Amino acid sequence: MKVTIKSWTGVATWRWIANDDNCGICRMPFDASCPDCKIPGDDCPLVWGQCSHCFHIHCIMKWLHSQQTSHICPMCRQEWKFKE
Amino acid sequence: MSLKPKRVDFNQTWHELQETVKGVITLANIPRAIWNDRFSDVYSLCVAYPEPLADRLYDETKRFLVNHVDHLLVQVDSYNDNSDLLTAYHRAWTEYSQGIYYLHSLYLYLNQQHIKKQKLSEAELIYGASSNRDEECQEQMEIGELGLDIWKKKMIIPLREKLVSLLLVCIDADRDSKLLAPIDVICGVIQSFVRVEEYKMKGQLNLYQEAFEEPFLKASKEFYMAEALSLLQQLDVTRYMEKVTWRLNQEEARAHKFLHKSSVPKVRACCEEKMVDAQADWLHAEAEIMIKNESKRDLALLYPLLRPLPGGLDPLVQKLTQHITQQGLQAIGPLQGENVYTQFVESMLNVHSKYSELIRDVFKGDQSFVGALDKACSAIVNYRPAPKQPVRAPELLAKYCDSLLKKSPKAASESEIEDKLRRSITVFKYVDDKDVFQKFYSRMLAKRLIHQQSQSMDAEEMMIDDLKRACGYEFTNKLHRMFTDMSVSADLNAKFTATLREGDGENQLGTGFGVKVLQAGAWPLALPPSPGPFHVPQQLEKSIQAFETFYHMQFSGRKLTWLHHLSQGELKFNYLKKSYLVTVQTYQMALLLLFEHCDAIPCREAAASLRLSHDQLIKHAASLVDCKILNKSTEESSELEEDTILTLNFDYSNKRTKFRVTGVLQRDAPQDAEATHRSVDEDRKMFLQAAIVRIMKSRKLLRHNQLIQEVLSQSKVTFAPSIGMIKKCIETLIDKQYIERTANSADEYSYIA
Repeated sequence: MKVTIKSWTGVATWRWIANDDNCGICRMPFDASCPDCKIPGDDCPLVWGQCSHCFHIHCIMKWLHSQQTSHICPMCRQEWKFKE
Repeated sequence: MSLKPKRVDFNQTWHELQETVKGVITLANIPRAIWNDRFSDVYSLCVAYPEPLADRLYDETKRFLVNHVDHLLVQVDSYNDNSDLLTAYHRAWTEYSQGIYYLHSLYLYLNQQHIKKQKLSEAELIYGASSNRDEECQEQMEIGELGLDIWKKKMIIPLREKLVSLLLVCIDADRDSKLLAPIDVICGVIQSFVRVEEYKMKGQLNLYQEAFEEPFLKASKEFYMAEALSLLQQLDVTRYMEKVTWRLNQEEARAHKFLHKSSVPKVRACCEEKMVDAQADWLHAEAEIMIKNESKRDLALLYPLLRPLPGGLDPLVQKLTQHITQQGLQAIGPLQGENVYTQFVESMLNVHSKYSELIRDVFKGDQSFVGALDKACSAIVNYRPAPKQPVRAPELLAKYCDSLLKKSPKAASESEIEDKLRRSITVFKYVDDKDVFQKFYSRMLAKRLIHQQSQSMDAEEMMIDDLKRACGYEFTNKLHRMFTDMSVSADLNAKFTATLREGDGENQLGTGFGVKVLQAGAWPLALPPSPGPFHVPQQLEKSIQAFETFYHMQFSGRKLTWLHHLSQGELKFNYLKKSYLVTVQTYQMALLLLFEHCDAIPCREAAASLRLSHDQLIKHAASLVDCKILNKSTEESSELEEDTILTLNFDYSNKRTKFRVTGVLQRDAPQDAEATHRSVDEDRKMFLQAAIVRIMKSRKLLRHNQLIQEVLSQSKVTFAPSIGMIKKCIETLIDKQYIERTANSADEYSYIA
């Protein structure tokens, strides 16, 4: 071997994989935080439902709390279940 | 003897009493028995039968005292216009005032029983309920007071002119340190003016002020004026100020020595008026020269003189502001060369510390001068050499910090670095465009963190804490997140290695491997030129895949994007006489790995197998060619073409066996600064628009000027936006239909929900 790799330090950025650019509830980009937060990222994470729709966790929690009877996804009206 | 009222022969009793009174008032020796007898005589007269003789006793006593004082006056007045008069007056006064004090005791019963009863109560005096009573019958006074009143009317009033003019002559002589009369005499005479009215409830100082203080101040004024004029003709400004300072202290001490304490501030004010205030224009003109020459001694003399004048220091403050600004601009004007940033910050700090010291020593840290320094510094720091050019300070300051925090062979000690950083905050506070600084700083911080070039993490954190203290949490928020990412990444790498070790042997990677995972929004990083199809060297592919899998296990719903232009690897060169450890960028690493099976490759082929564009390839190849690791087939100076053949340089040698090839992007490109300024502009627009929307959302309806004011106040922490920029943002928001102009007024906006 003329040249061998001793070590490598990689740099990568992460962003959310979501089916849309914006949160369907607050209309803010997923890369930004929900309106109640100031810092996007780990402090204002996203959650996915089993229907595959995705929201800021703070947004969907607020929506679910406001529903009296059944918990449904605000996008597709199916029953809302958190994806494991 | 009995206390019962009885018949008394007034004439006889008074005759005896009068003898004693005479003795008391002249401080003659009175035997105790006689004193007691006379004391009861007063009593008997006051309660005499069939009618009390108190009023008569009072009148007779008064007549006696008037006669006595008249007699004294003639005696005193016989010393003509000489300081002997003062001494005589003082002697008579000392005796009389003491005597009257005793006499007061002798007439105790009369005072307590007879006169107190008919006296007006305090309340009546204050509210003047029965003012006409005074005129109808003259009110009787207690004997002590009566005595003083008689002294005032019969002695002081007739002698007033003479006494006062003598006193003035004496005090004037004291100024030339000549003593015409003993100090206690002068003092005692002046005190007598106060003492004779001390028993009064109000206007105690009337006589003193009217008879003595007023003429004294008038005479003093003339003296000061004359002295100021003669000094002005003889002395230069320094000597003049010394003399005036001395004179002020002298006069104040003299006032303490001779006068009633209420006069001291008046004397000082009077002296200041004639010797400083009257010459203020001249002093202010001289002050300009003093400031120009920074003559601390003169300014230290001038400051206490001008301080009491209303607005007396304003011209100085203004002049100092101008002077510091001028000096500062001169200091930072001609900077050029490699380390402009160091020169800039350090000369700025020199200017600052030099003048803070001056203000502390000379102006006693006076707030208005500290304000002048702040104003001047902020003018220097935010100076624009030309109207369109950006202010240099934010960039230079950020570079200065970078140069301190970056690893370098000639780095200073930790404490020295921290000290310098702390001092640089002083400059930072004067920067108007703090957001520009933040942009530059965060870019440099990102480079330091990613390339592990930080000298010390403690120093880095200290600096961020200091910035936070100066500018608030928002300002350093992103910087903090960058730090968090670094520690999260370290944890992640540890977990990753642990996971690998738990797995079977096949999963071992064979090379050192570490990843920094950054949160996309927090870092000021450009995306790689073409994030697409770069061919990762096969040796790395497995490791990268393993890490991606591991990462997705840890965090679902996240996508990793590799930034190869920021990644780097350490290579071991085995093909040379010595073996070298070389740190290069990932792209260069991939290029070097291509030479495994051949010694020469044309650029075109290399680009194809790495799946890079030609432009990208030559950029990365060029730095390897520059440091002679690769040779090229074309001439020395020319660019790398598609057909150029790259060959491995087998003759390569380097003194050091471990080194780093500086990548293209690690060098500071000049367009970097420009791009930074552009992106700051974009950020500012977003910030302003957000601010306008926030304000309008809460206010619903607002006039143009009010809106501008609110926006200015919200943004002043980080930058000072131009009015034009705000207007443009308002236009944009109207176009985007966040707000609209109201129908009834041209300069009013309303929020559209």
